[in-house]
Amino acid sequence: MKSQLHDKKEFSIYEVFSQKNPTSGFVHQFSLLASDHEVAMTMARENFLRREPVVNIWVVKREDIYVLPPKERQYLERLDNKAYRETKGYGDLPSKWRYHKEQYEKQSEVK
Amino acid sequence: MINQYEKTDEKTYNEQMDAFMARIERGEKIEADDWMPDDYRQQLIKLISMHGVSEIMGALPEKEWVPKAPSLRRKLAIMAKVQDEMGHGQLLIRVAEDLMAPLGKTREDLLDDLFTGRLKFHNVFHMEAPTWADAGVIGWLVDGAAIITQTMSLDTSYAPYARALYRICAEEKFHAQHGESIVLTLAEGTPEQRDMLQDAVNRWWPALLMFFGPPEDGAISSNQQRNMQYKIRTQTNEELRQAFFNKYVPRIFHLGLTLPDKTIRFDEAEGKWHYQQPDWEEFKQIVKGNGPCSKQRLQLRTMSYKETQWVRDALLGNQREVV
Repeated sequence: MKSQLHDKKEFSIYEVFSQKNPTSGFVHQFSLLASDHEVAMTMARENFLRREPVVNIWVVKREDIYVLPPKERQYLERLDNKAYRETKGYGDLPSKWRYHKEQYEKQSEVK
Repeated sequence: MINQYEKTDEKTYNEQMDAFMARIERGEKIEADDWMPDDYRQQLIKLISMHGVSEIMGALPEKEWVPKAPSLRRKLAIMAKVQDEMGHGQLLIRVAEDLMAPLGKTREDLLDDLFTGRLKFHNVFHMEAPTWADAGVIGWLVDGAAIITQTMSLDTSYAPYARALYRICAEEKFHAQHGESIVLTLAEGTPEQRDMLQDAVNRWWPALLMFFGPPEDGAISSNQQRNMQYKIRTQTNEELRQAFFNKYVPRIFHLGLTLPDKTIRFDEAEGKWHYQQPDWEEFKQIVKGNGPCSKQRLQLRTMSYKETQWVRDALLGNQREVV
């Protein structure tokens, strides 16, 4: 018995994200081919989450993700003058607190 | 993804090529949507599609042992392993597909190449697995060999391949332990079980040597050389085979087993193993599709693909009419 294919719809690429526990963020796992979101969800569990603990899953159609163009990615590199935004820019604080505590304690002894 | 395969600016090919090689030399990783030379893309497609179909062909010799596994625990473990191998195929074929997309090729083309023999799969999956000890040796030594090549490839310059390999290597460790567990049980078992294990090691030894590919003998093939320049791989066939010997030959001897190669020895001064070469002509024949199980396994894979076509059609809602 022969059969003939009428229309030829294609599978789409879905990106899979999962969450390990309620306080962790969603992490990208991998991509897969599926006919729709529901099938993508089932396959995501089968393909990528057979062992890892997981509390939630997202599947996203790849064509719906807007990606930074490759050319622009090079400008993502941080300039090296952002210490004021980071804890390492405030490394002198503990020694200052220690100094003030010692001064206070010295004065208390004198009295 | 939006922006993917976007045409790059007016830079000449040579300028783009220089910038690309500079990125590789700086140790940067390449993504699917980055500019890459056609040659790099072709090398990756060749390597990753071969790796991908080897995973799905590799599930077949072990699948034969699912109904015959000696205990429920063993049956569950080998079923899990077969499923993992198919999953690895899914990951790798996905990576290959993204590379093939700009060339207008899809998963169907890739599988078609497998069915018609244009796309080769690893020599080890053309071999028979007649006893339960073969299932153990496949897990222990074939997966062991695969772990050695895949661990090297974790450093690959192509980031999507590296991400797939990180997932794969984590699961391969379970496979190797599953194999070790079977092998150790047989090694500690009855004289018949030990004989069965020894036979399996003898049977698999030449195929394991072949797994890493022919030695370079000082002349690295242009293909390997290019892959190393592109940092797709970092070690030669022979370096990988030597790493395999370092890890596994002592363990084989520790179990009181022997190797079918009486000449194998480690030379302390040279720091390398000397061994008897397998028949490389036979290797060529095997990967060409003339191995003991090549035709039968390829037929099984083709049949399974055809028989499940209705599922893929149904999922897509494609209408089929009987004529």
